[in-house]
Amino acid sequence: MTSCGSNNKNSRDAILYWCSNNIDEIKFAKIITDKWNKNNPNDQIKYQPVPEGRSSEEIILAAVVGNTTPDIYSNMWQGDVEAYAQAGVLIALDTLKGFMDFLSERCDSAVIEEIKSLDGHIYQIPWKINPIMLIYNVNFINDLKFQGPPRTYSEFFDASQKFQKDFDGDGYVDRWFGYSEVEVTWWQRFFDFYPLYLAASGGAPLVKNNQAVFNNEYAIEVFTFLRELYEKNYFSMEKLSARQDVFLSGVTATRFTGPWEIAHAEKFKPEGFEYEYTFMPVPDGHQGPVYTYGDPKNIVIFKTCKNPQAAWDYIKTMIDNEGDLKLLELTNQLPRRKNLNSNHFFNDYFTKNPKMKVFADQSEYVKGTDASPVLKEIFDLISQQYEACVVYGKKTPREAISDAADAVNLLFLE
Amino acid sequence: MISRKKILPYLLVSPYIIHFFLFVAFPVGFSIVLTFHKWNIISPMEYTGLNNYIRLFNDKTFLRSMGNTLIFLVIHIPLQIIFALLLAEILNQKIKLRGIFRGAFFLPVIVSGVVVTILWQQLFGYDTGLLNRLLIGIGLGKIGWLTDPNIAMSSIAIMATWKNVGLYIVLFLVGLQTVPPQYYEAAELEGASHAQKFFKITLPMINPTIFMVVLLSTIGGFSLFIEPYVMTGGGPLNSTISAVLYIYKQGFFYYHMGYAATLGLFFALIILSVVVIQKKFIEKGN
Repeated sequence: MTSCGSNNKNSRDAILYWCSNNIDEIKFAKIITDKWNKNNPNDQIKYQPVPEGRSSEEIILAAVVGNTTPDIYSNMWQGDVEAYAQAGVLIALDTLKGFMDFLSERCDSAVIEEIKSLDGHIYQIPWKINPIMLIYNVNFINDLKFQGPPRTYSEFFDASQKFQKDFDGDGYVDRWFGYSEVEVTWWQRFFDFYPLYLAASGGAPLVKNNQAVFNNEYAIEVFTFLRELYEKNYFSMEKLSARQDVFLSGVTATRFTGPWEIAHAEKFKPEGFEYEYTFMPVPDGHQGPVYTYGDPKNIVIFKTCKNPQAAWDYIKTMIDNEGDLKLLELTNQLPRRKNLNSNHFFNDYFTKNPKMKVFADQSEYVKGTDASPVLKEIFDLISQQYEACVVYGKKTPREAISDAADAVNLLFLE
Repeated sequence: MISRKKILPYLLVSPYIIHFFLFVAFPVGFSIVLTFHKWNIISPMEYTGLNNYIRLFNDKTFLRSMGNTLIFLVIHIPLQIIFALLLAEILNQKIKLRGIFRGAFFLPVIVSGVVVTILWQQLFGYDTGLLNRLLIGIGLGKIGWLTDPNIAMSSIAIMATWKNVGLYIVLFLVGLQTVPPQYYEAAELEGASHAQKFFKITLPMINPTIFMVVLLSTIGGFSLFIEPYVMTGGGPLNSTISAVLYIYKQGFFYYHMGYAATLGLFFALIILSVVVIQKKFIEKGN
């Protein structure tokens, strides 16, 4: 990619930054890097998109194994950080000058606690989030004569039952209220069980101190809720993702998804199609804020970096007010910082992009993932029980959650 | 001084020897070493003795995946042999457009496994799939081809049979063409029926081909991976997780390299044993 990178004369000594290979994020990296390089001739940065591969996670892993890591990498999934931290390939950022002050200024204490590794150090900088929320078809909700989108499980069932339809009278449902992939793949649970669990529990963890802590009423309630959705065929069990967009084509009225859906919907929505986002549904009688999963992507500095302090100084310009505003404007992804919805610096953006405002409101109440080097296995074990209980009804929610927790605890013993 | 004549043979075989040591002997040796370690690629290896082997024999999902692979073989091999032999027998006759039919049956073999799998996924769809629409059209109920744990592996076996049948047709055609025609002529003079000719002449004469087909489909069946990986991800309820898919997941999803190597070694020994037993059994039959 010839257009990438700076034209500095000392490119061999420059700090290497790998950004995402998404075109908007490459633009963002260019703007930030050009500005930095202009003002810091002695600490030049060279940016380049993460090399092509099946997934950026695999590329990073290959780079770690081959000792060819960049100095800085943004877009690190929070759940991967603990394994890399334990492998000793990341810089403990809390040892850098000014890091903790900057972090406390940017994030509230809950976020700082969340990103802390098991050894007590911090190896990642919270950068951006894409919270999972409920997207809904406004026209359908109006047709059902509801005041607004369903907020509680009861309201969700009520709307689902009214919306479900068999158009051709063949005895099979043709229109469902929602859809979520039934695949057992671990990360699919980021779009159903996990955000619903966070919503129900007020942001409770799944694991803590190498112990499963999700064997509770919240998780059971979520499994019970989802089980009923599949049992009554309010959600389709069939894989619908291979056909045309089921939400935009009106086959479903809702979906659990993130802000990335906005650009897609704006491009492909049929005429007259109206949609909005709202919070994840919660159990009846739920009190307090509604949390969700934020799908956080963070920034790390690898130990191969020869000048971590300069790398950190550069990162600061990526995530200051101007950097975060640029991120919003170019990528429509939310910076992970406190008071995003009330900070006047971002007011104009949210006025121009009202659909993003609801995500800014939600951003006060998002959670990432718990610190664990075996997070994928944990989600896989939950996913196995999810399939057995929620999709096929082979176990009761209580049994399934208990079995998942036992399996996770066994995993920690290995 | 060693003469040029003596060195030359070694030089000529050296590319293969280097390739063998680099890409066969070293990986196999390294895998065996790995079975005694815990290793997630990014952290240093940790010696764990026989832990991986103990874990293997207590791993219910691995045993399930072995069972699934056996179920697949039990459905797939007979289906494969029956259809391939039947079609080869038809395509060995002087029928119209024989060349086109032979080409058409071979076509799925050269199409990418992923493409075939995605195509069949659409056919097997529960609500929108063509097969279920046909069933509804004739007044029958829908079948959970890929969503019913009792049926999903059979669906995969049907698809795998469809994809590979062309290859085995070619093998059977070669076998059929080696049967001397005078045997059939003599049988006809004796008044033998079609069935008698098939069972008394054709089958015994093509026994070596049948052995080869059984052997190849067994080895192919043991390496079942793409179909469940793309179509079902191993579900529903682990009913289609094959041994290779499970080993892949352990190695490349969770980076349990030591354990994946243990599973791989154990599985390779099982394949070897089955093939040896098959060979003995069929040789005895001959």
